[in-house]
Amino acid sequence: MAMLEEPIKGVKEVKNYINGEWVDSKGKMVDVVNPATMKVMGKCPISTKDEINEAVEAAKAAFPEWRRTTPLARSRILFRLKELLEENFEELSRIQTMEHGKCIDESRGETRRGIENVEVSCGIPTLMQGYYSEDIATGIDEWLIPSPLGVFGIIGPYNFPFMIPLWSAPYAVATGNTIVIKPSSEVPFSQMRLTELAEEAGFPPGVWNVVNGGRTVVDGMLEHRDIVGITFVGSTPIGKDVIYKKCGETGKRVIAQCGAKNFMVIMPDCNVKATVPALMTSFFGNTGQRCLAGANLLVVGDDDQFYKRFMEEVVAMSSKIKIGYGLDESIQMGPVRDKEKRDNIMGYIEIGIKEGAKLRLDGRKPKIEGGLPDTCFVGPTIFEQVTTKMRIGSEEIFGPVMSVLRAKTLEEAVQICNDSPFGNGHAIFTQNGRSARDFQYNVVSGNVGINIGIVAPVAFFPFSGMKDSFFGVLHTQGQEAVRFFTESKVIIQRWF
Amino acid sequence: MGISTCSGAISLARELENESAKFYQELTKKYEQDKDLFLAFAKENTKYISQIERAYYGVITDAIEGCFAFDLNPEDYQVKAAPSKGASYSDAVKEALAIEEKILTFYGVAAEQSKHLMADVPRSFTLVAKKRNERIPKLKALLDQAK
Repeated sequence: MAMLEEPIKGVKEVKNYINGEWVDSKGKMVDVVNPATMKVMGKCPISTKDEINEAVEAAKAAFPEWRRTTPLARSRILFRLKELLEENFEELSRIQTMEHGKCIDESRGETRRGIENVEVSCGIPTLMQGYYSEDIATGIDEWLIPSPLGVFGIIGPYNFPFMIPLWSAPYAVATGNTIVIKPSSEVPFSQMRLTELAEEAGFPPGVWNVVNGGRTVVDGMLEHRDIVGITFVGSTPIGKDVIYKKCGETGKRVIAQCGAKNFMVIMPDCNVKATVPALMTSFFGNTGQRCLAGANLLVVGDDDQFYKRFMEEVVAMSSKIKIGYGLDESIQMGPVRDKEKRDNIMGYIEIGIKEGAKLRLDGRKPKIEGGLPDTCFVGPTIFEQVTTKMRIGSEEIFGPVMSVLRAKTLEEAVQICNDSPFGNGHAIFTQNGRSARDFQYNVVSGNVGINIGIVAPVAFFPFSGMKDSFFGVLHTQGQEAVRFFTESKVIIQRWF
Repeated sequence: MGISTCSGAISLARELENESAKFYQELTKKYEQDKDLFLAFAKENTKYISQIERAYYGVITDAIEGCFAFDLNPEDYQVKAAPSKGASYSDAVKEALAIEEKILTFYGVAAEQSKHLMADVPRSFTLVAKKRNERIPKLKALLDQAK
């Protein structure tokens, strides 16, 4: 099977994109390493506070004219961007595999999901229509206009480098705002390519800005009085204690999509043949590095025979997963993003053993195809006899580790899900409509799956989240994003 | 090496369509009397590749089982890109029939394996198989005529 060609050759230097110009940063440069090959593929700047200020100034200056640009004209630029993204679909996907490590199917999936948000935002002339009431009192009319606000900051994570900024960016600019994106400095290349295409699509200077970096850039965004709102995707501690808190202090609107510990509830009547592959994607897809990944497998019922048979199927399929470089089409699981993350996962595996869980499948020394260095690789790992009192059963590991728990009844299973501080993407696998209905009704989770292991909403639905998985009111994607990026201006009129 | 990923299955489908197109192009060169039919088959193969790729690139998302949808052995579906050396007309048509049957089996198995997981991809496999199935009686008729 084919090893696909790498789209980035040699060592590529990342630049900032400010006011329609590609500019070198004055900050220090850090290596961007391909986690599969451990080769340095580029250098990313850690930009300075002055540079984020410069980008915000440019975005602020561009706002009045961009706001005056008609929604139809703005949507035409987005249509052009959509075309360019389709034309460069494969290159964008392969860049993600190189910078992040995910398999090519996963990268293509990420590209598609990103493009879908651009597609939805192309409908902005109707999406941001207001509404009108004639004669709220005799001779007095009232109407609402969704009005853009100014400059928004978009802070992207490392796990979906291309897609996640697109949960926000197209809606922000479609509604007439201007943006400054801060991609993760670990994975800046797909955003850089996206920005090149945005430039080609015809966004005027200052509308779409990108400043690479780390904490300094984030702090600069949070403190800047001219940034009116922030969207953030990342961990719960940062989302809750830094982003949400600081936005509250500085009066910014905020979407903070955070961590998770998702339960996959298995009913004894599930379709085992279809469920097991779905669980592979849920727990081990993207090497477990996603906020919608399955973390805890919760098997319902006291039928030990079913449990035994089911787990045999799960372990058999998990242990056959091919691990290696995601540009090899035969590979099913890539590395995690870097050694630090791998060490963190390894640490959790040690914790699980110490906590007394039964290590059914050990991923600490995985077989890696293609003679690659093992620096960032962890194999599928399965623990049985886990409880939610254990750290491996309650904390977000963000790696390919499945913790298996049991519950006697569906009611108990729902209670276990709801006792978790997180509420991002719980799912049930069953052939029984009543069980499915009871689960979706009672479980406290922003996204709920029924026979779906990764409960990722499509672009015209909000990417929801509850409890410690989300801080804010409105969510990214679709109509909610349009509402987030606009303020309701209400006009009451009478003529004397 | 087995195929588990959707990307791998799509590549195999592309390879089978390309190889069998080459086979028909070879037949076109050799057998003037049925040139139009063989050429039409070769052209159809290109359309089938587009149809399958459109389904895949349109439906692939981060949420589906792209890496865990198949358990295919590509060795089971290898096809010839040219008729055997010295093959008679009937032998060549028999080889074409064998190719078609193998490719139909591939599409059937691939669609069955992934039917619960990615509706559009197995659906495109099934639609292509249904269309390709129409070749069987045509090839059999050629064989009958050659007797």
